[in-house]
Amino acid sequence: MEIVCSGAYHTRMITGGCPFSRRRFLQAAGGAAGAFAASALFPPLLLAAGGKTVDVGVASAANPAERARRAVALVGGMKSFVSRGDVVVLKPNIGWDRTPEQAATTDPEFVVAVAEMCLAAGAKSVRVFDRTCNDARRCYVSSGIKDAVERFARTNHAEDALRIYHVEDRKFVRTTIPNALSIKEWDLYRDALEADKIVNLPIAKHHSLSGITLGLKNMMGIMGGNRGQIHYRLSECLVDIHRRVPVALTVIDAGRVLIRNGPSGGNLADVKSFGKAFASRDVIAADVVAAEKIFRMAPRDVGHIGKAMESGLGVSSVAQIRLVEG
Amino acid sequence: MRTTRTLRRVSQWVVFLVFAFLFLNTEYKDNDVLPYAVNLFLRLDPLMAGAATLAGRALIGLVWPALVVALLTVALGRFFCGWFCPLGAVLDAADATVFRRRKARRKDAVPESWRKYKFLVLFFLAASSLFTLQWVFLFDPISILIRTFTVSVFPALNLVLHGIFDGLYRAPGPIPAISEPVYGFLKSHFLAFEQPVFRTSAIVGLLFLGILVAERYQRRFWCRNLCPLGALLALVGRFGLFRRRITEAGCTRCGLCESDCRMAAIGGDVAVTDHGECIECMDCQAICPEEVIHFSGKEGRKPAAVDLTRRGVLASAALGAVTVPFFRVEAYGKAPDPLLIRPPGALVEREFLARCTRCGECMRVCIANGLQPTWFEAGIEGMWSPILVSRIGYCEYNCTLCGQVCPTGAIRRLPLLEKRKTKLGLAHVDRSRCLPWVGQSDCIVCEEHCPTWSKAIVFREERTQTARGEWKMFKKPYIDEDLCVGCGICETKCPLTDRAAVLVTSRGETRSTGVLAR
Repeated sequence: MEIVCSGAYHTRMITGGCPFSRRRFLQAAGGAAGAFAASALFPPLLLAAGGKTVDVGVASAANPAERARRAVALVGGMKSFVSRGDVVVLKPNIGWDRTPEQAATTDPEFVVAVAEMCLAAGAKSVRVFDRTCNDARRCYVSSGIKDAVERFARTNHAEDALRIYHVEDRKFVRTTIPNALSIKEWDLYRDALEADKIVNLPIAKHHSLSGITLGLKNMMGIMGGNRGQIHYRLSECLVDIHRRVPVALTVIDAGRVLIRNGPSGGNLADVKSFGKAFASRDVIAADVVAAEKIFRMAPRDVGHIGKAMESGLGVSSVAQIRLVEG
Repeated sequence: MRTTRTLRRVSQWVVFLVFAFLFLNTEYKDNDVLPYAVNLFLRLDPLMAGAATLAGRALIGLVWPALVVALLTVALGRFFCGWFCPLGAVLDAADATVFRRRKARRKDAVPESWRKYKFLVLFFLAASSLFTLQWVFLFDPISILIRTFTVSVFPALNLVLHGIFDGLYRAPGPIPAISEPVYGFLKSHFLAFEQPVFRTSAIVGLLFLGILVAERYQRRFWCRNLCPLGALLALVGRFGLFRRRITEAGCTRCGLCESDCRMAAIGGDVAVTDHGECIECMDCQAICPEEVIHFSGKEGRKPAAVDLTRRGVLASAALGAVTVPFFRVEAYGKAPDPLLIRPPGALVEREFLARCTRCGECMRVCIANGLQPTWFEAGIEGMWSPILVSRIGYCEYNCTLCGQVCPTGAIRRLPLLEKRKTKLGLAHVDRSRCLPWVGQSDCIVCEEHCPTWSKAIVFREERTQTARGEWKMFKKPYIDEDLCVGCGICETKCPLTDRAAVLVTSRGETRSTGVLAR
């Protein structure tokens, strides 16, 4: 595993004092290798424990499962996030009645690979669900996620431990969100509220309102009620949700990326092969890096990411992010 | 001699269970194509098949099983009503349970002569259908049963069961541990995926209740007096080869068979049978103390005459015919309701109404609960036909189920690629309510849900003055009418809680214009 750290991110930004332009961001990321070489000597965990720096694993591999495994390994392996006996909720994007090739939903192999890692790390149970936009049955089938997860559970005799199921109205719980920016209370899914750990598995794609959708926005899938209305103040709402239901690990699927007409897409011409995965314990850090690497967008270009950085939810500047590539 | 009666009871149960099974499986089950003919019962119905053929002026291949039933009736008599009809089975079950104690008292509560009304209804409907107005759905027992189950009984049952299990789920102690496995089983085999809701559900339920309550006054009241399918089968089957006869030498004229006949088909002399009325339930054979009653191919005594007058027949037929022009000059023919959105693959309106059985199969199978029964959007003659009410549910882009279940082809079975191009209507934005358009807030929900590639809802970023007079940039939705298929998901998902700011009307629908969308 090669560890390349990009201290260049913050050193240039902060000392330069100039606005954080896309171009600068690019240059910074490109010239990352040398500037921060010293910290490559430290094991990544030690740095994270220091509290200042957050690792973001960036993995490239030809197949989705391999990408997921590598990205998680780069940030310390699943055992740093999931403990023995944990009840884990996996939250992929199953939002649309689209096939994996259309890249509107998380790749099924990617989901299965993460589920497998959770089980291997000793999770007592792994639950997979999403509140969908199209008919839930169609989304679960078309995305290939239902079949892939069930097949894996069956062949590994883990039907009890690993389950994918549909969201039910009766399991939404009216939840108050202390210090909320926008939504003081909302119906959230009971299983997510009660889980020991939540692993967030978004697919990176274009989004017509927020520009792009990554880890922060994916957690809308645990919300009940009239979700359309949160679009009026999307950034604040997303911060509120994450404050109430913190995510232990975010692994972003960027194997195929929908670069136009998101989030639902449909047209294969809008899908580009990217072959990467991003992982971090800090959802904001993961989003910042993915936004830059995939879409060449800086945090201020994406309203809800910028807002989240101001909120104190996670990293508040690019300076706190350390890239770990492999 | 009880064997044949037992056989008949077994047949009723089996047929009803098949009916229930097909009903429950008229649903998306992780498969784009339904694996078997869930619409079988309506396709077996000679009355509906005949009316749709007459009124629609077309041979309908789908209904060939009805021809088999008709031919069997010629050979066997009116067996369908006693052995096969699921509504008949429900009525018999009600007799055996709810109305059990009324059997003795209710004799003669309804005059014998009422039985002629079913023939009059039949001739009325036939004449009407001949002149293209199809009313059969009002009286066809299979249509009534499926419609009632779809729109009324099943949703209500689902609501009650859900209420019970949701209550148990929240109960303290060990209760959920016991109730949840039961709930899980019901959920996967019986309960609806999501609670269905339907317009007209209460009235449909009440009408059905009326048919049930009539049993209080007479056994098989519906079948004896009103059912036009029964009347048709009586006419076709009265010369059937399989018929009741008595070995007169042994008969003591005790009259038990006559007093117990559920159809009052045994008249005056116990040896005389009205073969049109006899539904071959085999009760008389089973209860005869002397065992002199047989059903066989041999000729019995001369059948009783149908109590029909030529005048009655002509009058009802004439009435059926004369009604037609009055409905044809209703103004909705010229200016149809703009909200009358028909399912994808629906025929042009006149042919559609001629064929539509109002069975509700399409509404039952509609994955988003968007297909609803009409009240009067299509006129009185169009009542209970399917209409897409987008505020309730939309047409799922990749779904073709309604065309797969329509028993008469009123909704054509479309291949997915053709269905995706079929326009149900067109959406338009209400710019006086749409949030970005009025400078209220960002939204984009309609655009993100728009399923077409490329999107029929597109944004233009424009400066808009807010209510306070500031100028701000908003992404405003525009509709590309070449791409819009009128699926209505934008209207369903529009976050405005009352009337949506993006709405679908029937303008541009493929079935009227006759062209497929580009």
